[in-house]
Amino acid sequence: MRLSAGYMIPFIKNRPDWGFVCGRISALEGRLLPREFFTLIIEMHHTEDVYQHLQGTLIEDYLDPGVPWDDFSAIADECFYDLATSIRAECPSPVPADLFLIRNDYLNIKSALSGIDSRFLPGMIREQIIGAVLDGDYADLPSPFRDRITGAGIDVGELDESMSDMFVDGAYLRHLLMLADEIDSPLIRSCVQERVLGHAVSSLWRVLRQGRDLKQVVDLFLPVGEESPLIMDLAGAPDPATWPELVGGEIGDQLARALQMPYDDQISTFELKVTNFVLHLSAFARLETSGPERVFAFLMALEAEMQNLKLVVTGKINRISEDILGPRLRYIYG
Amino acid sequence: MTPEWIEIGRGLCYAGAGLAFGLAGAGSACGIAIASHAGAGVMREKPELFGRMLIMIALPGTQGFYGFIAAILIMTQTGLIGGGNLKISLGTGLALFFIGLGDGIAQLVSAIKQGEASAAGIALIARRPESAGRAILFPAFVETYAVVALLATILFIIFLTQPSVLQLLPQ
Repeated sequence: MRLSAGYMIPFIKNRPDWGFVCGRISALEGRLLPREFFTLIIEMHHTEDVYQHLQGTLIEDYLDPGVPWDDFSAIADECFYDLATSIRAECPSPVPADLFLIRNDYLNIKSALSGIDSRFLPGMIREQIIGAVLDGDYADLPSPFRDRITGAGIDVGELDESMSDMFVDGAYLRHLLMLADEIDSPLIRSCVQERVLGHAVSSLWRVLRQGRDLKQVVDLFLPVGEESPLIMDLAGAPDPATWPELVGGEIGDQLARALQMPYDDQISTFELKVTNFVLHLSAFARLETSGPERVFAFLMALEAEMQNLKLVVTGKINRISEDILGPRLRYIYG
Repeated sequence: MTPEWIEIGRGLCYAGAGLAFGLAGAGSACGIAIASHAGAGVMREKPELFGRMLIMIALPGTQGFYGFIAAILIMTQTGLIGGGNLKISLGTGLALFFIGLGDGIAQLVSAIKQGEASAAGIALIARRPESAGRAILFPAFVETYAVVALLATILFIIFLTQPSVLQLLPQ
């Protein structure tokens, strides 16, 4: 069931075995940054001021004084990765953290299929397995990827880059749904379903913008759980203006709002709105003392915080206008 | 009243005492464990909050003592400790059994719930250490009903074991 259908707040029960990690998360939540923190960075004029401003934050330990930030995104990613893997090790179930860590794995698979070595920190899949993809060996990849290859007889190595990206995206979304089903949490399942639907719509939209026939592409992308019939319907409707009605619910409303934006901003606006919506949903976990939902919601918030930091810091370094950076900030959980 | 009925009465009364401290102790252990998990997790990030965590963790421990008080009172009032061989009717024994059971259940549930309330308070302190004073109030409210249960138990035991009710058995 999708939460957007009526904004139902799921029943959340406290689970004492999650007490330790949730206690730690309570302490970490106190260090999440407020919106004013980011708006202050946006208003700064010198990188040194930004560096001073970042003291006391979760990313502080990753910043070497005097060393130029060649790739601040990599620093933020490393900070998120280290905290997520550390939290994962303390959870009774790794699923809430894995939902975030597998993203890097699928990005590495995409790179490997393009003949490039792993660039992102590994999540659930070992580097050797990703390395084997470079040699065309997919046998040890997760079942959402492997089963589709064997079931449909698809040779991913023969696909062009955008098509293989669609195939990997589909496998990634199936993997997210598979993980969400492993844990007894209606809130996590609902958030993942909304995230998957949003991701699926934006992936199809991007492909449509490339001028490709969605009906051909969608075979590589599917199945994506309960959303498969909807994705088939979207593929049969080449005008995105008709999509909000087909999608329905909160995601459909966000899509309708995004369609009112200038053409070049539509997809990025939609992605931002979907992320903010899922962040809002996951924030219900704050009503809980201990349980996997708290871990999931914190990692959602941390991921959003790191994205916001990347946006404002790299935006300042590259002298991007304040008017562009501000509206692109994600929802602040803290 | 035959000696067998008196023995059954005595047996029921001491079973009630056992349940009073057994259930209360089990509840306190669970409650402390729930709060300890959360407290330990907070100290992983903020070890300086140990003092404030300790109070919250210790709170669910009181129910175990309340159960112990109820059990000792039953034992002293019925002569098991420091008294003679009192004649306890089946009715009095049954009443004391259910008083002990009722107290035990109240202490068990309140200790576990207090542990959960303490864990929630610990989460609040972790985020806002300055709220420690207010955070301790929430589990303290749960404590109220453990105290009420103990008071009711004490009154029941005292009035059920008055000399006019219990008589000394002939040696």
